[in-house]
Amino acid sequence: MPAISLQTHRQLVNPWIWLTLLSATIISLPLFVVFSNIIVPGNETWQHILKNLIPTYVLNTIYLMVGVALLTFLFGVSTAWLVSMYRFPGRKFFSWALFLPIALPAYISGFTWAGILDYTSPVYVFLRNTFGIDTGQYLFFNILSLPGAIIILSLAYYPYVYLISRAYFSRQTSSLFEVAASLGKKPFKIFYQVALPMARPAIVAGVSLALMEVLNDYGLVRYFGIDTFTTGIFTAWFAFSNPQSALKLSAYLMIFVLGLILLERFQRGQMRYDIDGSSYRPVKAVNLKNTHAVGAFVICSIPFLLGFLIPLIMLIYWGSLTYSYVVDYRFAELLANSFILAGIATAVVTVFALFIAYTVRSFPSRFVKLLSKVATLGYALPGAVVAIGILVPFIWIDGKIGTFTTTGVRIAITGTWFALVFAYLVRFMAVGYNSIDSGMEKISKSLDEASTSLGLSYFKTLRKINLPLLKGSLISAALLVFIDVLKELPLTLILRPFNFDTLAIRAFEFASDERVAEAAPAALIIVITGMIPVLLLNFLIERKN
Amino acid sequence: MNILELKNITKKFPEARDPAVYDFNLTVKRGEIVALLGESGCGKTTILRMIAGFELPTRGEIYINGEIVSGKGIFHEPQVRKVGIVFQDYALFPHKTVWENITFGLFHLSADLATNNAEKIIELSGLKGLEKRYPHQLSGGQKQRVALARAMAPEPKLILFDEPFSNIDSFRKNQMREDIRNIIKNTDATAVFVTHDTRDVLSIADKVSVIKEGKHMQTDTPDKIYNNPVNVYVANFFGKTNFIKAKISKEGFKTPLGIIKTTDQIPAHLNEVLLSIRPEEFTINPESQDCFCGNIVKERFMGDYKELTCKVENPDGEDTEIIIHVSPTLNCRQHKCYFKPNDGKINILRDE
Repeated sequence: MPAISLQTHRQLVNPWIWLTLLSATIISLPLFVVFSNIIVPGNETWQHILKNLIPTYVLNTIYLMVGVALLTFLFGVSTAWLVSMYRFPGRKFFSWALFLPIALPAYISGFTWAGILDYTSPVYVFLRNTFGIDTGQYLFFNILSLPGAIIILSLAYYPYVYLISRAYFSRQTSSLFEVAASLGKKPFKIFYQVALPMARPAIVAGVSLALMEVLNDYGLVRYFGIDTFTTGIFTAWFAFSNPQSALKLSAYLMIFVLGLILLERFQRGQMRYDIDGSSYRPVKAVNLKNTHAVGAFVICSIPFLLGFLIPLIMLIYWGSLTYSYVVDYRFAELLANSFILAGIATAVVTVFALFIAYTVRSFPSRFVKLLSKVATLGYALPGAVVAIGILVPFIWIDGKIGTFTTTGVRIAITGTWFALVFAYLVRFMAVGYNSIDSGMEKISKSLDEASTSLGLSYFKTLRKINLPLLKGSLISAALLVFIDVLKELPLTLILRPFNFDTLAIRAFEFASDERVAEAAPAALIIVITGMIPVLLLNFLIERKN
Repeated sequence: MNILELKNITKKFPEARDPAVYDFNLTVKRGEIVALLGESGCGKTTILRMIAGFELPTRGEIYINGEIVSGKGIFHEPQVRKVGIVFQDYALFPHKTVWENITFGLFHLSADLATNNAEKIIELSGLKGLEKRYPHQLSGGQKQRVALARAMAPEPKLILFDEPFSNIDSFRKNQMREDIRNIIKNTDATAVFVTHDTRDVLSIADKVSVIKEGKHMQTDTPDKIYNNPVNVYVANFFGKTNFIKAKISKEGFKTPLGIIKTTDQIPAHLNEVLLSIRPEEFTINPESQDCFCGNIVKERFMGDYKELTCKVENPDGEDTEIIIHVSPTLNCRQHKCYFKPNDGKINILRDE
């Protein structure tokens, strides 16, 4: 008898596991393409990039990461602490509104602020003419700079820190704070001696997410003229026409990402900050009065106003000026392109995520769990890296099977919707997967077992038991993926078919051409769509209460 | 005919150091109700899940109806095993009505036949009138009946129960046990159930298998297990008992109490043994000369009986305390008690 275990035997004959293996392999292919290029020696272009450009990329990337880490920590933790520990006017509103800036992509917020602070901006003109405020070429300061980029990126991504630390603070049990208070600690000391160290893993996790987004960003740094790895990848690909250098840059950027992930894992370590459920008593919020209440209100207002409301009002104002000639049949086409593309990508991601999550649930083993991890790695990768990792093998495939075009180049899948949708699958698999997986975890495993023991196949069990019970998670998974695709920029810019535009690309291109006002309608649609899940979530929580 | 046979089943979970189930054997005959009994975490539920096909044994073979379903490179998925299972949490489909739950496994039957089957089992389990309700509109006992009906509807050869009575109010338990036993016996099904409650076992099982830390201890009828446990663990599991060290001699058992005479056959190869005598297996008889005499050091009224703790002095060594259950109306004079173990009720713990 062969020396394989029953477990291995079952996996070998199981189509679910084979299909998961196949999916995970294909989805992680771009990753391995990029990674394998670290060791390949580069050509002359690469030598030039390595010598003259990489030092700048590394420095700028580090500046951005340090700056954003500090600012998102400041915005996120201070507001989360206030909202979960104190009662003050506007607290209820801020508790969800502070998450809204997530709907405003950094590149949109970036060109909007650049527009607001520009010499010709309606705000500056108004201030100058009415109050005689004149601060030179820019209102206050030139936002198109490294500090400016740090501020905009932090305003766009602090909600990650806010959300995770708020969840953590409000889960903390009041007795911990009471003990600290009974030992004579002042509120601020309780904050940084008890609450902060306890919430550290959560806060670092939030900051790491924000930093991932920073590494992913292309639109903002490009617009602000800051050279980082992502802009370098674009330069290598489009300006130098040197795929190999683009690949190597991608590989370098990936090292940053992996370093970040490892660092986060390492700091989390074996520590468990779980709260003993039996003695859990939610923290009772303290009433703030007078100046304290005003202070809390102001602290919460700053990121909300700067990160969301002011840019939104500005966009609406510009949109009202330009929509009459910007919104034409070509705009409708743009809208259709974006929504259909996002719709297809969402459907594909949801189906794959559901399939893999259900395989892990039904046939759990170390091997299958590893496959699910591999299939969801793409989310850690910047869009530009994913795009390059796809483009290189796709061009190779084109060379084998493509038909000749008029320019004498073989084309089959490069620059098609297929390539784009595949790239979104790689990049956003984790978004769909995590949402569906956590939904499935809430369904008792014995329901599946009851169904299979009654003779229903795994597929029928998925259809009749899991799907109906998963409805909510599926909707939220789909919504999150849809919005991510809608606002995606770097990956779409590299992989899009010839002459194909999306809302995000059009908004970015208008803004890059110094036609910020004309970018507003497309930007507004992205922002308003992005607000839907935040509002929906808030609505559901309200109804539950 | 054997409906179920487990041969040398071992299960080791990858993250665990020790096997959850170790070299376990079990045979279940047609029509039997067999209980797997043990403390929580002893591996009994794992055994049940391996029978159903939810877990894969690391070693060993499982036969259902004489056919191998697991082992020797063969693994049958739960779908083809045709085993019914009633879960501890009932696992009723929350988005389906009672009727839809019960007919869920009848998809392979014609509509008429399915309706017929379902109506029969609904009648039998006393669920008439509840067909249109959803699980959240049912009481705990009703949920369990639905879970049972759903598992029984496809008429499986074998039906498994995971802790069937753990979520039932204690005053309903007896009725529920009786009902379930009747349903199983009336439908000619075979059942295996997992429990940690000896009362479940004594009232409905035909056969009991006691498990400790994944290892098999003893399999026998409830009566045999109660009266003739093979070791201290099994003896203790089924309630109080007196353990007495004894040397075998010609007259009988030589114990710290004195010589206990017996008409039982004593295995010849044994020399020193441990005896177990249940507290109710003593005869109180102040007149008899054969009796042992003890001082009553504790007396507890337990309702339908009285528990006496008697200290028997031993001039050669330590005193022995014997627990005896007597009629609540019995009164002993001067705190003395004359007692004698009943013949045939002195059990030698063979595995100690």
